[in-house]
Amino acid sequence: MLKKHLPEWALIDVMLKDSEALQQLVQIVKLQDQWIKHRASSLYIDPLLLELKIRLLTREDLADSFVKCWHPVAQVDQLTPRGLERAFTYWRELVPMSERFKDEFGNYAVAPGQMDFEELQSLNIFSKEEFETRLSAIHRELVEKSGNGETDYRQFVRAQTFEETAVRAYLMAFVVTEGRASIRVDPLTEEIFLSPIIGPAGNETKSVAIDIA
Amino acid sequence: MSTGDGERALLERKMRKALQVLILQRGRTPGVKGWEMKRYLGKDYKTILQVLSGDLKQLGLEVHEVPGIEGTDDSTRYLLRFRDSPTLSEAESAGFRIDDLAVLAASIATVNSRQGRVGRKELETFLREKFPRWRVDYSLDRFIKRGYLDQDEKGLLRVGWRTRAEIDEKSLMTLILARGEAAP
Repeated sequence: MLKKHLPEWALIDVMLKDSEALQQLVQIVKLQDQWIKHRASSLYIDPLLLELKIRLLTREDLADSFVKCWHPVAQVDQLTPRGLERAFTYWRELVPMSERFKDEFGNYAVAPGQMDFEELQSLNIFSKEEFETRLSAIHRELVEKSGNGETDYRQFVRAQTFEETAVRAYLMAFVVTEGRASIRVDPLTEEIFLSPIIGPAGNETKSVAIDIA
Repeated sequence: MSTGDGERALLERKMRKALQVLILQRGRTPGVKGWEMKRYLGKDYKTILQVLSGDLKQLGLEVHEVPGIEGTDDSTRYLLRFRDSPTLSEAESAGFRIDDLAVLAASIATVNSRQGRVGRKELETFLREKFPRWRVDYSLDRFIKRGYLDQDEKGLLRVGWRTRAEIDEKSLMTLILARGEAAP
């Protein structure tokens, strides 16, 4: 076939375009082949049908379906003498933190620090009146949302923007510090819960760092 | 000692060795490849693993094989895994929230229904209809890290090695569809 039609191709450009078109056709056939193989496999389900099913199911149903097909791998993580030796060598050769980034950043960078309320006032982020009002408002909101129970910390402080979330987290830190709310961290699920305290504040204080990013 | 006793002792010794290499994690990915098994146990390693899997049944464990990309015996990975599935409450006590498991189930099913790959953004948009934004981001990152999902440089998600090792994907798809039918 090629031998027959080769003399008819006068220009090299035409030949190149034809070969390119042929290559694209091959690509299409290859993709069609993959598509047919997938549809023929038992894993094939119409994506739209599946999306609809997932939308209809509750989270509990989805989780339950998952665990019924789950066979976790059994293994033991153990420190071997060789691993211990490598860890020791790594630790011995590790450059101190103060020296590590000296070449890249020098010694003049300002380290991350804390900003107190007076500083925020001087930057016009809060006025004293506004701060007190917002503290009371967020405490009231917590009481309304939680009732006598608990509420999820992340859901509670989450706002439309990251800036507002940060402000809400900052205000909640004050509410907790003042003893008007308590905070509980579930060590298994890493969930954080808030519950309002109505009445006189307690004396016990404890610092808890929470990542809101 | 008769020849039969000698063979039995050898088989038992090899089974102990097989259990030892399967249970101790080497490197980041659990399990042992076919060529390594051959080196530890000899060329009849498949028979030894089969016998071991039968013996481990009493303990609720099994030897599971995951075919490698090349499709050869050498590239097949052998793992020790639970024969029976855990209950939902057991999974929760192991540190998995219901929300996490639901995100993972929906993600694996979606990836499988889209010919084995889906754009992360597309999946996130779909999951956010059902789960909070932060939960979707956190769970997907966590499952990529643990090997349940795999993300390439183009942001396409595929099922990861751990999904292939631990999850019966066909049953998952069937169960999701069956539950959907039962829902009002």
